[in-house]
Amino acid sequence: MNDNLETRALHPHIALLFRQYARDLAQTAPSSDLDARISALVAAAPRKYMLRPPRRWPGFAAAAGLAALAIGVGIFIGMRLEHSRELSAASQAAARDAAWPPADLAMWPTDSVSFKVPAVYSAQGTLVAVDPDSKSTSTRYWIDVVVSNDGTFRIERIVPAEQKNGGHDGVAPQVQ
Amino acid sequence: MGDDSEYMARLASGDANAVRELYQRHGRALLRFSSAMCRSRQAAEDMVHDTFVALMREPCSFDPALGTVFGYLCGVLRHRVSRHFRQQRRWVALDMENDSSSAHAVEQSGPVEEIARSEITAAFRRAMLELPLQHREVIALCDLEELPYATVAGILDCPIGTVRSRLHRARALLTIRLASLELIDLQNELPLPQRGLS
Repeated sequence: MNDNLETRALHPHIALLFRQYARDLAQTAPSSDLDARISALVAAAPRKYMLRPPRRWPGFAAAAGLAALAIGVGIFIGMRLEHSRELSAASQAAARDAAWPPADLAMWPTDSVSFKVPAVYSAQGTLVAVDPDSKSTSTRYWIDVVVSNDGTFRIERIVPAEQKNGGHDGVAPQVQ
Repeated sequence: MGDDSEYMARLASGDANAVRELYQRHGRALLRFSSAMCRSRQAAEDMVHDTFVALMREPCSFDPALGTVFGYLCGVLRHRVSRHFRQQRRWVALDMENDSSSAHAVEQSGPVEEIARSEITAAFRRAMLELPLQHREVIALCDLEELPYATVAGILDCPIGTVRSRLHRARALLTIRLASLELIDLQNELPLPQRGLS
């Protein structure tokens, strides 16, 4: 046995068991079956192993092929992701656009009438409708009034008469 | 009869008969190592066979600068055994629930009938087989094959210090196991002739 610290420290009973077991193992001989298998291996060697091409390059080729395949799959997945992202952005834009009403739609009933009423400021500070043909010197305003068919009305805007282009026909109705 | 390097050169040049020569030179020692590692005789012989198949497939993978041919073959065998146990672990896990069943499997599988001629040697073999693989192999190589530590370090591909520490740990584990089986008496250093030890 090895003459070293580990062996010297070994318990004598265990050293004895080691020797006994090693002696028994030493009597182990290969079976005839194993001999026959080795002989068959040697006999088959020229065509099975010796003529085999070197096995290293297929490993590298397989690794390179796998790497190329992985890159291809990565590119494909990236393209698919990018495409789906574009589709998603387009669908989100469509959904956003759909949330806005088109230009020809409004929250107000379609059957309504708008009036442009001429008005001037009174001494009390309120706007008072006047005759469009009157020759008042005070500043005149146009009040755009929309009356809906459900009975409600609203004042859309009040603008000075000077900003209006052209003349005004007083209470000319406009159907929206 | 030439030496190992000459056989390896012949093998590398395509002479398959060199494998037969190497088998005749080292087959027995490899089988001893394999038998110490494996539970069954059939598995031990399969490992030896696979070792020579690997040698024949890649004869140029041996580097004389790294060690002897026998050390190289032991290294190949060790890898085969390790892979064998990794594969076996998937299939025999249920049997491992009962230690006594694995012990019976050892007894019935053949090698113990041939190797262990006494009850105490059979129990010692069972204790050896219960060691973890890396501890079992270092005991098989250092204590049973009596290889130098440098050679064992080359086979196990680790520093000599690792071999020493692993061997120390393996012996400690084996001592505990043998004491629990009452195969040794740690209080008494005298041999136990009445138990059949010589």
